[in-house]
Amino acid sequence: MSFHIEAITVLLNGLQQGAIYILLAVGLSIILGTLKFVNFAHGALYLIGTYAGLLIALEVNLTSGQLQAWGFGQLGLGLGYIPALLIVPFVVFVVGLAMERWVVEPFKNRPDTDQILVTFGLAIIVQELFRAFFGSSSLPFSQPSWAQGPPQVPFLAAIPISSWRYYVIGITAVLVLIVYLLVEFTDFGLVVRAGTRDPEMVELLGIRLSRPYIVVFGIGAALAGVAGVVGGPLNPVNPTIGNEILVPAFLTVVIGGVGSIAGAVLGGVLFGVTQAVLVATYSAWAQVGLYAIAAIVLLVRPQGLLGEAEVAP
Amino acid sequence: MALLETENLVKEFGGLVATDEVNLSVEEGERVSIIGPNGAGKSTLVNLITRRLDPTSGDIRFKGESIVGHDPHEVVQMGVSKSFQTASIFSDLTVRENAEIAALASEHGSFGFKLLEHRDSLTGVHQVARDTLDAVGLLDQADRQASELPYGDKRRLEIGIALAAEPDLLLMDEPTAGMSPEETEATVDLVEEVKRELGLTFVLIEHDMEIVFRISDRIVVLNRGQVIAEGTPDEIKGDAAVQEAYLGGVEL
Repeated sequence: MSFHIEAITVLLNGLQQGAIYILLAVGLSIILGTLKFVNFAHGALYLIGTYAGLLIALEVNLTSGQLQAWGFGQLGLGLGYIPALLIVPFVVFVVGLAMERWVVEPFKNRPDTDQILVTFGLAIIVQELFRAFFGSSSLPFSQPSWAQGPPQVPFLAAIPISSWRYYVIGITAVLVLIVYLLVEFTDFGLVVRAGTRDPEMVELLGIRLSRPYIVVFGIGAALAGVAGVVGGPLNPVNPTIGNEILVPAFLTVVIGGVGSIAGAVLGGVLFGVTQAVLVATYSAWAQVGLYAIAAIVLLVRPQGLLGEAEVAP
Repeated sequence: MALLETENLVKEFGGLVATDEVNLSVEEGERVSIIGPNGAGKSTLVNLITRRLDPTSGDIRFKGESIVGHDPHEVVQMGVSKSFQTASIFSDLTVRENAEIAALASEHGSFGFKLLEHRDSLTGVHQVARDTLDAVGLLDQADRQASELPYGDKRRLEIGIALAAEPDLLLMDEPTAGMSPEETEATVDLVEEVKRELGLTFVLIEHDMEIVFRISDRIVVLNRGQVIAEGTPDEIKGDAAVQEAYLGGVEL
């Protein structure tokens, strides 16, 4: 394989991995920016998205876990990937609404440490529930047969990257654009942006923020769910994936700048591409590289690449 | 029937009595100023009316209805708007967006899916926002970021935000604080213009006596939480108790 084909392959793999981080980071970031809530259970939403996607798209044979013991060894609707992509965001949106109502709301005015503890605890509970019911072993979640090979178009056909990865990048781009337009150009977005800056004044003007806030949380959750569906077929599926993806997703938010959608995109691309380049060259250093970037960015720009100089009160 | 009434309104902070049996009555269309030395209870009174504070005892009625049981945002929707003491605008948003969010609040305070409406569609909200900016003379600066406005224009925008909520009663807490003489002049003109065009009822909290005497129909003087005098500007100027408690030493 010639060098430039290899370089493009690495770059595209990086963009695809970055896209997953972006889907998670945009949700985390708008939740942190508006509700001022630190959601360490965001990975659990990714986990739910992945399993929901798997069980809607395919039929799987469980080899361990309580469900298998109860005789539900064969599970799943087998509806295909497109229905999974359409249904899962709604499912996880509803999960997000419930979480906002019963976990976020009671802890909204508590210190960050309390929020971290309760959401991290929740993430572990969700992980262990999945382990109990579906078993610890990895489940097969293959890429759809129609998206396994490179796209049959000139140039891209020569690059050994499955169509699925292009879909991941494309779906991410469309969703992030929709969220951006929602925040910048709708009344909902106006209320959310004003509430981010000065919630007390918005309430004084006569607007209750609780409803826009619960919707923000639901949107963030839905994005995490989509990340789970599109990211699921690219990695082994087991109960630990949620908490494994949480740290890079949070670092993406932190280096991009809290509350900034553009920052989350920039951070995600930076992370994904760096990771892909290191995996292709010095793979042992791939993880270290991410933390090194995060450390350097935070030393030079503590507010993140595109964050405000001052954290909003 | 008075638009706004307070009846034996008492607010105690621990042992300190901030307002002491205050009976205030504001008629529709009136411009009432509340003056008094520092610590007289002026801000407490405003915060009680806007429901930022709960009274210890007594009642507040707006349009004849008691508002003591209502939340702050409900009071806004009933028609009480407040322009704040400290510059409070959304500085990251454009001038237009500042007016729109205030208009949104009065239009559908706790809304559902109207939220998703595209902001450029010419709904009532955008018309109200436009008219408001026109009224306070900021329409030509609608697309500027609010933080870029000079200080006087920021205060005008603030009044605009209060007006966009289409209130029946506008509470103004030191609207000209920190302004240059020219800016003060422009703001006083604005208040008079708004009064003339919209027929609003004003309650003004102000330190600048010149402004108070110029734009008030009636003045209420507070001292140590109690109303010590009440009357037209001329009556207040001649009131011995007021001279003693407050205006002593001030050249009038």
